[in-house]
Amino acid sequence: MQPQPSSCAVTRAYRWAILGGAALAAIASQSALAAGTRAGTTISNTATATYDAGGGPQNINSNTVDLLVDELLNVTVASNNPADVPTTPGATGQVLSFTVTNTGNGVESFGLTPIANGGGDDYDPTVTSIVIDNGNGVYEPGIDTVYVAGTNDPALQPDASVTIFVISTTPGTVTDGNRGIVALTAAARTGTGAPGTSFAGQGEGGGDAVVGATGAQGQDDGAFVVAAATVALTKTAAISDPLGGAEPIPGATITYTITATVTGSGSVSGLSITDGIPANTTYVPGSITLGGVAQTDAVDADAGSFGSNQVTVTLGTVSGGNTRVVTFQATIN
Amino acid sequence: MRLFLLAFLGLMAAPAAANPVALSNSVFVERVSTDAKGNRKIVLEEPKVVTPGDRLVFVLNYRNASGKPAEKFVVTNPMPAAVQYAEAGDGNAVVSVDGGKSWGALAALRVPDGNGSQRPARAEDVTHIRWALNAPIPAGGTGKLMFRGIVK
Repeated sequence: MQPQPSSCAVTRAYRWAILGGAALAAIASQSALAAGTRAGTTISNTATATYDAGGGPQNINSNTVDLLVDELLNVTVASNNPADVPTTPGATGQVLSFTVTNTGNGVESFGLTPIANGGGDDYDPTVTSIVIDNGNGVYEPGIDTVYVAGTNDPALQPDASVTIFVISTTPGTVTDGNRGIVALTAAARTGTGAPGTSFAGQGEGGGDAVVGATGAQGQDDGAFVVAAATVALTKTAAISDPLGGAEPIPGATITYTITATVTGSGSVSGLSITDGIPANTTYVPGSITLGGVAQTDAVDADAGSFGSNQVTVTLGTVSGGNTRVVTFQATIN
Repeated sequence: MRLFLLAFLGLMAAPAAANPVALSNSVFVERVSTDAKGNRKIVLEEPKVVTPGDRLVFVLNYRNASGKPAEKFVVTNPMPAAVQYAEAGDGNAVVSVDGGKSWGALAALRVPDGNGSQRPARAEDVTHIRWALNAPIPAGGTGKLMFRGIVK
């Protein structure tokens, strides 16, 4: 190879810069994997050369170029709830979990802000607190630290993450199937803005802080879905008189049928049906049935009981889409 | 004879003062901008701000200021630890992936894969880049070598 006159090198460099475009995308995706070189690092480059100009081998060094790596401000927020979190009307202490990651290259504090009224949903959860996890990923009231903006903004090393819990109350007015979205935003305390925005002298290690591709802020949504259920009760009466007819005469037997229908995506708990025996009638002992199965009158292992002149059937937790049928009998005095 | 002697003495004295062959090193950062028509344009700037992901262009200029050809001219540039090799702007460059012990084209080099065997070397494995000029630099001759790297 001939020594390169500088004009030739320039031509070559020009062509190389044009061809270089294809390589850029691949390189950019590689460097996006990690926070990268720590802010404040000095990149020092020196080349050496050997040659012989007739006096034997000579060694020379080039000048040294030092570049300071500045702080790149980047952050991501990701919801830890891939599916909507079930809630119920009026429920308190409802938890959404997020991971905040410093994808920049310097230690940075991040301000956290919840957004419950961002739209795209059916209701606005009421955010009551933001809590910083103690590192085990589990929300522990009273153990994890309640976040106070500007006071205990989480400071994260490059590539470090923290789990943040957003605690909400579900309004009592919501109905089954309603969705409520809460977003969490994290913003670099040094500053945010368009990528490339520079904050002179504010970077770790004495350099500048430069807003990275994330704009130095991140945001993600978490969502609740209301799983509520409602109970509808219907009661019918059928009379069977001693003469074989259906007349309400003394001695006739009345069979009451109470149907409890539970609808909705949730369930009702502690469901109990109580019905008093009407005046001028007398309960027929041992006449309670639940789903066609006879129940005893005593308060015992089965669901039915009779006492204080009223019938009680304890149904417990019943999920939406189920029906319970209770019958009992009384005679007309 | 007297002139020759003076020249010879001058040559001997030169390394202590100013080397007859000089190598200067400068670094530029590539900024990609897109104009109103959507055309990408690559601009080289003197770096004021360097951040991870920045594309750097290292330029090595050499000059033979002596009155004689400089032979066997070999330039070696260790990659700074925080810079990943991207490519050389010259097909005659060779690289090392083992700290300068062995050299070759990147595609021909292999490195331990951590499991007891070897895998093909990748750009991030490069530790040094080297150029060996086949022909002497003539007296007064200059030239330029380049390579690209990415701030890790």
